[in-house]
Amino acid sequence: MRKSRRLLSALVLIPLALTALTACQGGKKNEAKTTPGTSGGYTFAVVTHGGSGDAFWTVVKNGAMAAGKQMGDKVTYSSSGDPQQQSQLIDAAVNQKVDGLVVSMANPDALKSSVTKAVAAGIPVITINSGAEDSAAFGAIAHVGQDETVAGKGAGDKLGSMGAHHVLCVIHEAGNVGLEQRCAGAKAGLTGGTVENLQVDLNNPQAAQSTIQAKLQSDKSVDGVLTLNAQVASFAVAAVKGAGSKAKVATFDLNTDVAKAVESGDIAFAVDQQQYTQGYLPIVLLTLYKQNLNTLGGGQPILTGPGFVTKDNAAQVEALTEKGTR
Amino acid sequence: MATATAAPVDERIKNLGVTRQLLARPEIGALLGAVVVFAFFAVQSSVFRSGAGVANWLDPASTLGIMAIPVALLMIGGEFDLSAGVMVGTVGLTIGLLTGQYGMNTWGALVIALALALALGFFNGYLVVRTKLPSFIITLGTFLMLQGLNLGVTKAVTDTVQADAIDTAPAYRPAYDIFASTVSVGGVEFRVTILWWIALTALATWVLLRTRFGNWIFSVGGNVQAARSVGVPAARTKVVLFMTTAAGAWLVGTMSALRLTSIQANTGIGEELIYIVAAVIGGCLLTGGFGSAVGASLGALIFGMVQQGIVYLGWDSDWFKFFLGAMLLLAVFTNQFVRRLAEESRR
Amino acid sequence: MSETAQADPVPAAAPEAAPLLEVRDIGKYFGSVIALQGVSTQVAPGQVCCVLGDNGAGKSTLIKILSGVHQQDTGEYLIDGEPIRLANPRAALDRGIATVYQDLAMVPLMPIWRNFFLGSEPTKGRGPLRRLDVAKARDITRRELAGMGIDIRDPDQPVGTLSGGERQSVAIARAVHFGARVLILDEPTSALGVKQAGVVLRYIAQARDRGLAVVFITHNPHHAYPVGDRFVLLKRGRSLGDFAKSEVGLPELTRLMAGGAELEELSHELEREPQA
Repeated sequence: MRKSRRLLSALVLIPLALTALTACQGGKKNEAKTTPGTSGGYTFAVVTHGGSGDAFWTVVKNGAMAAGKQMGDKVTYSSSGDPQQQSQLIDAAVNQKVDGLVVSMANPDALKSSVTKAVAAGIPVITINSGAEDSAAFGAIAHVGQDETVAGKGAGDKLGSMGAHHVLCVIHEAGNVGLEQRCAGAKAGLTGGTVENLQVDLNNPQAAQSTIQAKLQSDKSVDGVLTLNAQVASFAVAAVKGAGSKAKVATFDLNTDVAKAVESGDIAFAVDQQQYTQGYLPIVLLTLYKQNLNTLGGGQPILTGPGFVTKDNAAQVEALTEKGTR
Repeated sequence: MATATAAPVDERIKNLGVTRQLLARPEIGALLGAVVVFAFFAVQSSVFRSGAGVANWLDPASTLGIMAIPVALLMIGGEFDLSAGVMVGTVGLTIGLLTGQYGMNTWGALVIALALALALGFFNGYLVVRTKLPSFIITLGTFLMLQGLNLGVTKAVTDTVQADAIDTAPAYRPAYDIFASTVSVGGVEFRVTILWWIALTALATWVLLRTRFGNWIFSVGGNVQAARSVGVPAARTKVVLFMTTAAGAWLVGTMSALRLTSIQANTGIGEELIYIVAAVIGGCLLTGGFGSAVGASLGALIFGMVQQGIVYLGWDSDWFKFFLGAMLLLAVFTNQFVRRLAEESRR
Repeated sequence: MSETAQADPVPAAAPEAAPLLEVRDIGKYFGSVIALQGVSTQVAPGQVCCVLGDNGAGKSTLIKILSGVHQQDTGEYLIDGEPIRLANPRAALDRGIATVYQDLAMVPLMPIWRNFFLGSEPTKGRGPLRRLDVAKARDITRRELAGMGIDIRDPDQPVGTLSGGERQSVAIARAVHFGARVLILDEPTSALGVKQAGVVLRYIAQARDRGLAVVFITHNPHHAYPVGDRFVLLKRGRSLGDFAKSEVGLPELTRLMAGGAELEELSHELEREPQA
């Protein structure tokens, strides 16, 4: 009896201790964030739809954090790929009465009520990455991002000029509107050629590679592969080699591997939306808005891309990707 | 061997004590957990304990809870449903396509989606009882099929990967009011889903503990041979449980579709495990035959509090999953320990 | 799969004071294997018929025929003097033949009262408000068990926390409460210690005194002899004989069970654990 009571109290204490521990950690972090004596001193929340651990969104986060540090603002970052959860995260930020909100809108309809609620509460909102069409209507002061259709068009155009006629557009996230737009853009840009969509699962790299390879083996007419994610680009390169195909590989987004592959010629080019700036700029813009009521873009999206990484500039960019800013 | 290890017949435990009797309840571990988690966040964040904060973390807890309850009943009945999460998406997309794309009346779309969900639940249940294969395998199959179907049909119909314009359909407004609106309490907007959640928790608890069907749920999960041999319609019970889970998916899918007015084709994928985790935190045994609806709701509550609480504390959200995992382990340990205590207290 | 009992409607003039349950020359084959052949016995209300035999003697085949799991291939099975074939266990239950298996039809995690009424729960209210009558169920459980001389501490106690003997007793009490006329007990004492076995034997006597016909399967003559009125000995699927208590003594029974002369060298322990 006594023994079990002791066990019981241990069970209650363990979570307490655990939470206390993490609390200390959190406290320390907060202190570090609020560097005193600099200009800003605002609290901004960044709420995105990127999965945690995603290479692309890590760079966005790095950008936002760096800007926060330089401006002297406190920046919190949270994310959920589920629109409903993302809207709840926005609600939480509004409850906290943050000084500004940065939101990526992969599914604008679903976020509408939360974003407009934030605007109504007098919180300046800047949308990033996706959702350019609805940004102004929801009351955001600016949109910082890349127009997916424009970027896709650019990629399709470039692939066409390299002689590709039958391009495989590899979608790694079923149900992501932005990815579909890229492929649709590529279709529009690739004059006189066809674009075929292919579905793979980013969480299962082996399968993703073999799916691409199987497609290349079964259809020899494919002479171009457009991937929409830097990791998938590496799978595509391996798949092209494995299938003995001569298809050119191009990709959206960048990481060190892709930069290296562009340098070596395995990847023809990378469409870079320079997502670091999608994290960095909104924090700067919000600080300027709060201090100086500046608004940029004039109602038009502030485009961060597409920038193209080709053999010419790959070496410099590669060095930057290692720093987590490209 | 027949060595005389007989329990002393005349030895009686005089009084069990209130604590010990409480400890025998499956949900007590989750209750403890919920109190600790609440205290932890409430102490550090004034927003978390404010009205708006409470409304905020009850919001995700409510929809998760509405799913966790039927999933818990199913687990008590000894089965799993891995297709429960993606079925939420199927329902939402069905409603979205029927209303937004074909302009159907919202109520009509809801009825059709319900019929579809119940049919899917029946399909799951019938296959499980008929083939006697583990429900893990059967519903994994349904899970994958629905995932493909969701994307395939949505793309075929809309050429995009989402069904939208749900709010343009006739009778959208009254349906929204019932399933997705907010209720103002003392100047704070609470989601109406919270009321649904509380009502369903009460209903499920009553069914589980105070009806014949509830008795059957425990028995088919605890010892299906025994249940069958005393005349419990085990197959029917399990099929009804699968259909109940599907009905829960219908409710949550409806809530999502009406609230968001657009539904993505990948909605709900991965959520199925969260439902199971909430049920397990709430004291459900993975092996069946034991658990409670209140517990599952508490599990969902813990989830909601942690999910939003991390935001309120401004922590690095990268650690969210770590925290969830640690919590799951703790919950399982607590349950195991509490169950041992319960058995001790009975001997 | 589930048809109803095919009771051959033979309204033959039943002999007076017919035994409740009777088998005549009953047999069962599985392919070329003769599992049971030429077994006859009977049991009347208020009597205990013990079926004795080693492992593999055909005891379980016999119970399975009696309880409707298997159907006999030869011979006759009579209930109330009426020849029948039981299509399934439900048909047996409908005729008042309840079987308590060795592994017990109990759900360990559920409380005693829920187990007791499982499948036949008392309800009150109507329509959507029809609900369990918990107070009544608890009360009856306590009363029925007390009537069998079982004093449970708490009807809310999970069955899994009861001792083996207590569990057997609850199963027997349940069968009695739900109107069993014939109680078939499959090795209820085999997994129990001496003291616990004694408890179960007391409940068997209780059931008998309440006027039930009991078929008690065991491989232990020491358990069988004190409560039994008739003894059927099975060996290798055949009957070695069907004796009234007056026709046979315990030493004789034990000798027959063990197969004769080897007995003297075998300890009691070994009898309970015979080689195949």
